[in-house]
Amino acid sequence: MKHVSKIGIMVFAVAAVATAIVAGCAANVPLRTEASTSGIRAAEEAGAAKVPQASLHLQLAKEELELAKGLAAKGEKEQAASMLLRAEADAELAVVLSREDAERSEAQAAVARVRQLRQDNQ
Amino acid sequence: MKTMQFLILVTFVALVAGCATVAPNELVNARSAYRNASEGPAEQLAPAELHKAHEALVLAEQSFQKDPNSHKTKNLAYIAQRKSEQAGALGAMAADKASKDKANADFQKKQTEIVKQGKQDLSESEQRTAAAQAELDKSAAIKASKEKSDAELAASKEKSDAELAAVRASKEKSDAELQRQQAEAVKQGKQDLSDSEQRTADARAELAKLAAVKEEERGLVVTLSGGVLFRSAKSDLLSSAQVKLDQVAKALLAIRARNLIVEGHTDSQGSESYNQDLSQRRADTVRDYLVQRGYPADRIQARGKGKGSPIADNASPEGRANNRRVEIVIER
Repeated sequence: MKHVSKIGIMVFAVAAVATAIVAGCAANVPLRTEASTSGIRAAEEAGAAKVPQASLHLQLAKEELELAKGLAAKGEKEQAASMLLRAEADAELAVVLSREDAERSEAQAAVARVRQLRQDNQ
Repeated sequence: MKTMQFLILVTFVALVAGCATVAPNELVNARSAYRNASEGPAEQLAPAELHKAHEALVLAEQSFQKDPNSHKTKNLAYIAQRKSEQAGALGAMAADKASKDKANADFQKKQTEIVKQGKQDLSESEQRTAAAQAELDKSAAIKASKEKSDAELAASKEKSDAELAAVRASKEKSDAELQRQQAEAVKQGKQDLSDSEQRTADARAELAKLAAVKEEERGLVVTLSGGVLFRSAKSDLLSSAQVKLDQVAKALLAIRARNLIVEGHTDSQGSESYNQDLSQRRADTVRDYLVQRGYPADRIQARGKGKGSPIADNASPEGRANNRRVEIVIER
């Protein structure tokens, strides 16, 4: 009984320490900006800055990222996480808009090329 | 299908909201964005992204039901709007890509048609060119043949002209030679005629010394007395007659180109047949003698005339002596 009691005390101690560690870590979790940052980088690489609509969302994503960082610094973790999600969504939209613009340009060029070919060979 | 679900959701939310509070701008924008996306090509071409947008909007609506004006609701609505816009953009991009692929396929097809048509045109052009070339070659061959024919014709004509000129020259030469020969022949003929006339005249003069010579219509008639040439009733030549006939023959040989007729004549004594036979034999004798002396046999004839052609009266001895005669007629 005495032996069991010691083990129980040890398990409780370990569990207490672990809980304390986890609780401490959770309270001090850093802001995870990787997804937003990589999204913004992807948008820039996709040429979002040259596409008006994409450029707007790229700018929004950047501002939202900075805003999230500011909120995190103030300890408003939940608000910061939500703002990061906004930044991520805007960055992704900027990427898609950039690609869509390029695709549209290529499609228009292809159609124009066919039209010109037909016109030249009537 | 998703559009229907969305409309049901919106209706439900509107009914609830009607009883509660007004939706925030973020949620209104999200609903609008989703509606736009679901009515566009995204429903067919980007269904997965549209589904994500739908889920995001549902979360936003649920949050709106729990806490209408919370930051969380606004944030979820904001994200739902962006995901809806993203789905719409992906749908448009897929449509653009389809359009581009179709255009590229059309381009490829058209280009293939053009190449095929070009090849066909080229083939037809080559055929036309070949046909034209063949026509040109044919024309060139015809032209060459014509030129050759013309050249041959010209050469032939030149040769013919030369031959004609040669023939003309030869003819002129021949004509000249003929004229010369004719002139010479005429001259020679005149000369011969003159010589002949001279010889005839000489022969006549010579014969006139030997016998009676008389010009008659039938020619020059030389009359030799029968008494000088033959014995009575004989046809053999007297030896003295031969000397005389030698002289006559010599004179006649000078005109041997003339035809002679030797005629024998008798007097009226004796029968007709006897005299005819005697005159013929005497004519033959004289003819033979002249031939023997060199006169051409084919130019001399012998005819017995009997007593039918007297030149004197047979009543007297002198007349009968004159009728017994041999006449040598030198034809004209």
